[in-house]
Amino acid sequence: MIEIRNVSKWYGKFQVLTDCSSKVEKGEVVVVCGPSGSGKSTLIKCVNGLEPFLEGEILVNGTQVGDPKTDLPKLRSSVGMVFQHFELFPHMTVIENLTVGQVKVLGRTKEEARRKGADLLDRVGLKEFAGKHPGQLSGGQQQRVAIGRALAMDPICMLFDEPTSALDPEMIGEVLSVMQDLAREGMTMMVVTHEMGFARNVAHRVIFMDNGRIVEDTTKQEFFGTPRSERAQLFLSRILRH
Amino acid sequence: MAGGIVFGTLLAMGRLANLGPFSRVATAYVNLMRSIPLVMVILWFFLVIPLITGRPVGAERSALITFTAFEAAYYSEIMRAGIQSVSRGQVMAGQALGMTYWQSMGLVILPQAFRNMLPILLTQTIILFQDTSLVYAIGAKDLLKAAEIAGKNHNRPMEMYVFAAVIYFILCFTLSTMVKSLQRKIAIVR
Repeated sequence: MIEIRNVSKWYGKFQVLTDCSSKVEKGEVVVVCGPSGSGKSTLIKCVNGLEPFLEGEILVNGTQVGDPKTDLPKLRSSVGMVFQHFELFPHMTVIENLTVGQVKVLGRTKEEARRKGADLLDRVGLKEFAGKHPGQLSGGQQQRVAIGRALAMDPICMLFDEPTSALDPEMIGEVLSVMQDLAREGMTMMVVTHEMGFARNVAHRVIFMDNGRIVEDTTKQEFFGTPRSERAQLFLSRILRH
Repeated sequence: MAGGIVFGTLLAMGRLANLGPFSRVATAYVNLMRSIPLVMVILWFFLVIPLITGRPVGAERSALITFTAFEAAYYSEIMRAGIQSVSRGQVMAGQALGMTYWQSMGLVILPQAFRNMLPILLTQTIILFQDTSLVYAIGAKDLLKAAEIAGKNHNRPMEMYVFAAVIYFILCFTLSTMVKSLQRKIAIVR
């Protein structure tokens, strides 16, 4: 589904990604973790072309992301993305947030989009908030709406960029449980997160990044059992102590 | 004014987008217009264009074009600040949904930029409206000129000037009240 081959990226002279390669199969849930500044968010943003990269190639469902001839908007419309800071459109109501992409990008009718949007709101447990504005919702609720907005486009896979990092602790659970349901239904997911509990519960594979490199890319069992790199061991011991 | 906003928005987008020569032309245009007093632009346009085209433009039409061109430069700077006030994450969110550049501009960025900019747009519009009295210089007919003519005809210049001032006040005050209520109506709920 997603194939990353030898991707490197620079910000000016600073190299943020060095020779990253990995693969996400259909139906697989892959968690990307690592210390801040290790390039996780940058890597996931490269997958749908939100960040350009200089070397290597990324294939999503067989389409080259880095190719200038690729219709990026079309590719992105089939890849759902959830951001750290939700990024709901504040000038629209919740239901409008869920329908705007369906109507304007996919060309669905308003009724169709509304029906789908309402179903998804129900699914993330926020049916009664359809007419509210994002600013009236709590962080956890906003992030669930954002997941619904991405799902409304019927994506072939979902990218999560630290979906719970900006949330109060008591709201993390509600977002993670929506994500877990999604994973159980067989959605292909690439998730940048520090939530090791989530990784333990639902991930198939874990990618550990440090300094712009992928230092571990193993199954969950192996990762939590015997992390091979010293840096990953240190990271895990710090995170799991709490 | 509407022309100024549309033209100004395009100029702002031109300056922000990486369009090479077009961005530079837009920037140069804005800097030029903002460095010259409006009266001079009005006079210059009125006197020079007929020299180039060989045909007089007419005071009213000349004034209209000059105002659109001049105000566009100011509106463009306001819009530029407004567009930049919308976070990068919002742009990405629009793109991530598969929106094209124009879709994310029209559906996500500009609606928010416009809301953020409304108070300053209003101020600029009131200034523009009051500045229309400057077309006095080329003898085009605006409110002030009309008041002067009426005053001379009836031999009551003082009263007519006061009358003109009252009308300026009523129009500007109404406009600002209207914008305030519009602002309340479309405000972004935070």
